[in-house]
Amino acid sequence: MKLSGFNYLIGQGAENIWKNRMMAFASFCVLLVSLLLVGMSVLFYMNLNSMIGGVEDKNEVIVYMDEDTSDEELVEFQTQLAQIGNISKITFYSKEQAFEDLKTSMSDYQVLFDSLGDDNPLIDGFRLRIDDISTISTTIAEIEQLDHIYSIRAPMDFVNILTELRKIVTVIFGVIIAALFVISVVIVSNATKASVFARREEIMIMKYVGATNAFIRIPFFVEGMITGFFAGCVALAVTWFGYDSLVGLLTGQVDILSVIGMGSIISFQDLAWKVAVAYLLSGTLFGAFGSMLSMRKHLNV
Amino acid sequence: MIELKDVSVTYSSGVDALHNVNLKINDGDFAFVVGASGAGKSTLIKLILKEITPTSGTVTVNGYHLNRLRRRRIPALRRTIGFVFQDFRLIPSMTVYENVAFVLRVIDAPTKYIRKRVPYVISLVGLQEKAYSYPDELSGGEKQRVAIARALVNDPQLIIADEPTGNIDPELSYEIVKLLQSINEIGTTILMVTHEHTLVRQFGGRIINIDQGQIVFDEVIGGDLIREA
Repeated sequence: MKLSGFNYLIGQGAENIWKNRMMAFASFCVLLVSLLLVGMSVLFYMNLNSMIGGVEDKNEVIVYMDEDTSDEELVEFQTQLAQIGNISKITFYSKEQAFEDLKTSMSDYQVLFDSLGDDNPLIDGFRLRIDDISTISTTIAEIEQLDHIYSIRAPMDFVNILTELRKIVTVIFGVIIAALFVISVVIVSNATKASVFARREEIMIMKYVGATNAFIRIPFFVEGMITGFFAGCVALAVTWFGYDSLVGLLTGQVDILSVIGMGSIISFQDLAWKVAVAYLLSGTLFGAFGSMLSMRKHLNV
Repeated sequence: MIELKDVSVTYSSGVDALHNVNLKINDGDFAFVVGASGAGKSTLIKLILKEITPTSGTVTVNGYHLNRLRRRRIPALRRTIGFVFQDFRLIPSMTVYENVAFVLRVIDAPTKYIRKRVPYVISLVGLQEKAYSYPDELSGGEKQRVAIARALVNDPQLIIADEPTGNIDPELSYEIVKLLQSINEIGTTILMVTHEHTLVRQFGGRIINIDQGQIVFDEVIGGDLIREA
């Protein structure tokens, strides 16, 4: 095909949108709603996941050291801890600090501490923050291999609940998003089928005058692509505005924030590029291939 | 040239549409195909356009052996044929000019050639004043003339007109057949399917009568117009 012929077909695709504006608008609306349904659900899932992650980040494993561990051994122990993966933060918690903290938290029992004099019954320890709590057991097993450990305290119940919660949320949202995706595909395919059906006569005429399938398909492809691209643009704008408004609303609600944690809400700016690419790409591809696939049976003339 | 040898067509429903048909239409011929509804006229057209394949026998159109023709070669065959529908089948969103030019776009003709050829063909059918009108702004006769211009624009070897006068007034029907005759005079083969016996009697020429899937009459007769002359 010559370049002028190709340009003509691209032009025809763009022109067809205006000529068939009612059907094009219907396809645009269906694509927009489908993109918003799937997009918003994914964003909601990401935030929910982030909130669970926020709670998970509050995990703490404490490793208590043997009483007779020397300062050099403590330093070496810290180095060995740092070499174990999956630990995001290591804080040395000296027995002096622990004693001071205990005194502060039990200030009503000052007499008890007075009776101890200079004796400190507590032992040194390390506070650890675990990266991925779903593999905490493996990490603890690795720590247990090290010397000079008196005991390890890990929040296993907390970990088990969060791991299960994350699994449940992932499965539920996986099903919801997959279902919405399937529904969207069906709706988009029906909308494009209706749009193509309205122009089946045009396709048949093209076939009778000797048009190749590619010649017939390209304008439909371009038309679907442009419609899908604009649906993606509007979906992006709606999501951006809706998301930012919702985040703005939540930011003002101290009670809600104290429950979910401010840091757990993902800001749209962090996601803007990903959301934009996902919307524009899926809108364009959905539109283009939806049109092309829907017209297949009309080409058999 | 169209040649059918021992052609039979049986549809999957079991209907015998054509039975052992032998037909030869030479280059430059003008032939009327007549017959009652359901006689097999449409099946004959579908065979020529390679919309269907014969159950048995061979079909050759403009040098293409249709039994062996691959699907992707069908557009090439159809570019050698101009087709005129009973209900015009113009693309409503395109002007007269665009409807006619469209056929040349399909064959990837140069824009310069399209700009020259399309107004010429539109003027041949006498519609130069309506070149930028849309189909719904035209009368039935005008629409059919656009359809003929569209069939003619890429200079096909053969024009098939399927009941081209079916949707227009009798006076205009006469004009349409005259137009097809004048196209035939420049060498284009014309196959006109019709059930209007009056029109056929008026013009005369080669008449092919199909009845119950068989050719029952294939002769050249003199028309009233010829006799009057």
